[in-house]
Amino acid sequence: MLRIENLTKIYPNGTRALHDVSFEVQDGEFLVVIGLSGSGKSTLLRCINRLIEPTSGKIFWDDIDITAASPAELRHIRRHIGMVFQQFNLVKRSSVMTNVLSGRLGYANPWLSLLGIWPAADKEMALKALERVGIADKAQSRADALSGGQQQRVGIARALMQDPKIILADEPVASLDPVLSHSILQYLEQLNKDGLTVICSLHFLDLVHRYATRVIALKDGVKVFEGLPKEIDRAKFKEIYGEEAQEVRAASFEAEA
Amino acid sequence: MKTKAPKRPSPWLAGALSLLLPGLGQIYARQRYRGGAVLIAFLVVLGMVAWYGQPAWYFAPLGIWLWNVWDAVGQAGERRVSVLIPLLLGLTAAYSIGWQMVRVDFTSANWERGLAVLRPMFRPDLFERRTELNRMWTPISVPCSTTQEAPPARRQDGEKLAFATPDCAGVLETVIVSVSGMWPDTDTEIWWETNIGDDKPLGGNENAPLIVRTDETGSLTTTIRVPSTILIAQPDPTLQLTHRIYFDQRRPIGGLQFSTNGGFVVKGMTESVTMALMATFLAVLLAIPISFLAARNLMSANPFTFAIYVVVRTVLNFVRSIESLILAIVFVIIVGLGPFAGVLALAVHSVAALAKLYSEVIEGIDPGPIEAVRATGANWVQVVRYGVIPQIVPPFTAFTIYRWDINVRSSTVIGMVGGGGIGFYLIQWIALNDMRAVGAAFIAIAIVVMTLDYVSARIRERLV
Ligand SMILES: Nc1ncnc2c1ncn2[C@@H]1O[C@H](COP(=O)(O)OP(=O)(O)OP(=O)(O)O)[C@@H](O)[C@H]1O
Ligand SMILES: [Mg+2]
Repeated sequence: MLRIENLTKIYPNGTRALHDVSFEVQDGEFLVVIGLSGSGKSTLLRCINRLIEPTSGKIFWDDIDITAASPAELRHIRRHIGMVFQQFNLVKRSSVMTNVLSGRLGYANPWLSLLGIWPAADKEMALKALERVGIADKAQSRADALSGGQQQRVGIARALMQDPKIILADEPVASLDPVLSHSILQYLEQLNKDGLTVICSLHFLDLVHRYATRVIALKDGVKVFEGLPKEIDRAKFKEIYGEEAQEVRAASFEAEA
Repeated sequence: MKTKAPKRPSPWLAGALSLLLPGLGQIYARQRYRGGAVLIAFLVVLGMVAWYGQPAWYFAPLGIWLWNVWDAVGQAGERRVSVLIPLLLGLTAAYSIGWQMVRVDFTSANWERGLAVLRPMFRPDLFERRTELNRMWTPISVPCSTTQEAPPARRQDGEKLAFATPDCAGVLETVIVSVSGMWPDTDTEIWWETNIGDDKPLGGNENAPLIVRTDETGSLTTTIRVPSTILIAQPDPTLQLTHRIYFDQRRPIGGLQFSTNGGFVVKGMTESVTMALMATFLAVLLAIPISFLAARNLMSANPFTFAIYVVVRTVLNFVRSIESLILAIVFVIIVGLGPFAGVLALAVHSVAALAKLYSEVIEGIDPGPIEAVRATGANWVQVVRYGVIPQIVPPFTAFTIYRWDINVRSSTVIGMVGGGGIGFYLIQWIALNDMRAVGAAFIAIAIVVMTLDYVSARIRERLV
């Protein structure tokens, strides 16, 4: 169980990206974070594994206080939190295999990994992970030779290498077309069904309704909604996305209704 | 709209104003920028022609002036007028003045001189046929002495026998020389070697080789004149000393070998390529740390580091603007003639050039993969190894190879100011008018530069 308590993040330039956000995530949930661009979704996800240092507030994972962890402890915690990014964040010039193996760095022998030497078991695991996302044949290609959807699947395979208990996915499908979006989210859904906790930020409400088990919404860094996807009605939507957004998104409610 | 529109400018007035002062009419027609531009263009062209030109070129400012009147009328009448005419006039004036400034004069070309230089270059002195040498010599005493009898001017070497009569002779006296047991029916070069080892030709006016053919038995007899210059360096010209007369026969034995100059070409070219390699190597070692100081994204965190960044950038830009050839002149003074001066010159220029390119690579690093590697629980060194290095090593390598390629080109000229390498030989051959050797050097430079160009392009293609 992940517990976020009074989380606040103020960037050095004074931007208050998160303000007193608290919520809990039970093991095995598929929690979706929604909110307008700039509402603090990325900041929130990055605070959980402390890629961004929170200004104040606490994050507990079971009974471990992530916010109080020393650098070495933090690396241990990060090993179990896989992360998937909107821009995939692969090293473009490296091979798919190297990118996937880098997910294993937290476990690897530091010296051998610096030399680029990986145990056979890790390589096998990487191939399995690639097989799982259906692109084992691309293992030796350069990462930038792959399409966007394939690159995101490499990103998922990299996260799988961490033996993660939690997956943080920051708008994993925002750069993909609708068909690919579903296929990527289906991989995440499958992982979720296998017992992983997934925390995912999303932009499209139809995807939220389809995949989320629970939703929280941010607006200007403040949590404005927490509940089941079906509880987001027209009024809530207006509250989260503002008046102007209504016309654009109204269609998805009409379709629901 | 119509009610708001101010009174239309009168085309007549606009034309008249522009006739008075170019651009004024346009300004009156509410085309302020156009008017200003017309005035400036007119003044610039007028200034150019007045400064350099012959009177005939005044057609250009005059033409612009007339066009300007027409343009003002057009602007007032809200008619579009093309600026092509004044543009062409301005360019014509600039071109004519440029022609005069650089003193273009095709009549100064001297084809005879050109051909005299070019023709030998088409027979580059790179290779020669491999030959076998058949050499014989005889001693001879110079000059004759009153106190001392000369030893016999005669020598036997197996089958071969050479002798001169008389046994001694003075400068410019005639001597009969004979040789036998040589190859039959073969051209034989006869030349003089002084007691201190100076070679003197015996043909022509002591300035051409003397070549005599052996008969069918391999013998020849001819007369020579003792060269006039052999005693010049002698402290006591009456002292009898032993000189030698040589008989050389050569015949091809198939195959080619580097000629003497060809050997120098190879040596010089090897030196040039090595110089470039060493300079690039040195430059990389210095440029890598400097490039981090010159990367904006790393240095803009606080005012102090940013100041360092500005200073480093400024120094790099300054150094980069000085050609390595000019740097070489300075280094030749500091460390003396030779390839080391050239290496330093190339290295300094390359440090500046590479540091700038490297720093741009660093500035262009994608933070995404670094973030992703951190998120896996990797430590700091692993983040650098898997997130940073793969992003910068291929472009660094590509730029380095590119720089080496440029350095090889530069190193071929750097020798001309004493910096070693092929240029060092080249400038001497040009001074000696040895155009065959120059041709050979050109070929070597072309081959090496083209090969490296191709290879470096192919490697860079794979890296980027
Ligand atoms: N490094 C930073 N320094 C300063 N301000 C930042 C920084 N990163 C983000 N912000 C600001 O913090 C706020 C929240 O940003 P964040 O990236 O978390 O939003 P988001 O919900 O992920 O938006 P998007 O949907 O566009 O990705 C924004 O106002 C943003 O401008
Ligand atoms: Mg974001």
